[in-house]
Amino acid sequence: MKRLFEFIGFEPGRFHARWISGSEAQKVVETAKKVTEEVRALGPNKKMRDDRC
Amino acid sequence: MLKEKIKSTVSSLLENKQVDFVIGYGAGSDAGTVRPTFVKAVEEVQELIWSPFAVNNLAKYVMDHLYENIKIGVIVKGCDSRSVVRLVQDKVFPRENFYVIGVPCKGILDKNKVARDFDLSGEFVDFVEQGDNVVVKTTKGDITIPREKYLMDKCYRCETPTPVVYDVLLGEEIAPFRRDNYEDVKNLESLSVEEKSKYWDKQFEKCIRCYACRNVCSACNCRDCVFDMAEPNWVGKAANLSENTAFHLIRAWHVAGRCVDCGECSRVCPMGIPVNTLNRKLIKDMKELFSVETPGKNPEQGAVLGSFRTDDPEEFM
Repeated sequence: MKRLFEFIGFEPGRFHARWISGSEAQKVVETAKKVTEEVRALGPNKKMRDDRC
Repeated sequence: MLKEKIKSTVSSLLENKQVDFVIGYGAGSDAGTVRPTFVKAVEEVQELIWSPFAVNNLAKYVMDHLYENIKIGVIVKGCDSRSVVRLVQDKVFPRENFYVIGVPCKGILDKNKVARDFDLSGEFVDFVEQGDNVVVKTTKGDITIPREKYLMDKCYRCETPTPVVYDVLLGEEIAPFRRDNYEDVKNLESLSVEEKSKYWDKQFEKCIRCYACRNVCSACNCRDCVFDMAEPNWVGKAANLSENTAFHLIRAWHVAGRCVDCGECSRVCPMGIPVNTLNRKLIKDMKELFSVETPGKNPEQGAVLGSFRTDDPEEFM
């Protein structure tokens, strides 16, 4: 899915997919931090922003 | 003559009641068009033709008879035969209810390319192959078409000129003589993020949401389609860039691992959107990630995205 998103012009780093078990609290925290940092660096998303009617 | 072989095969199938009807090609409104034709009785067999423009994937039409205990003969080319394999693997239509009439194919002529240089407005009469040329006889005269210059794009990368599955093969088997290197997908992949975004926005903007790409697709076989539902309204019906992008991404994903790359979706698009390129991107990724073949090409290979191996790549861990 990530590959297809990037193929149609979403920036790499806009989407993340991680498999995290319920017992991996540290991994949740690290992933959330990483996603936030990367997406913040990219700025607001410009694609698929038309209003839904 | 292939046409005669098709007629005699279909006649004997109907006479011996081996099939209830046969789906083949009939003459269309002009020399470059064929019409899916359903032959139920021996008297109707003369309607069948074979043409270098016989592009339609006829396997789709068995889906109108899903829950009937009926045996259907279908004329398939190599590309279409992959659809038969997938329909059987997905248990959409049982193999024993198919009678597959395979036709080896060196490539189908692209009507739009030919019409640019030749007059196709006459009615189709017949055709003969003369070396690398195809001579199409029409009611407005003969046209000599150099085959290699006017093939459908998909035919230049055809890896299955002979059907992969058939009950009877009409004609000599043709060994694979081309390779698919996914040039079209690679060219797009090599663009920058902005260029890719601009290219696809321009394509998706054109979409009028007619759903022809879905309707023609042999992998689209859900009884209730997500795009038809009003409640829940999974995808907006408005034809704007966002909703169109969502539609095309979802459509591509819903047939991922089942799309046989027959190219019908791109062909039927009235707006000229390269719909099939999205599926080809997914097929290329699947091939790289899971070392598989194009779905339907190898009858031994099961569903690509419906099976698990412990050595599958796990990029998301």
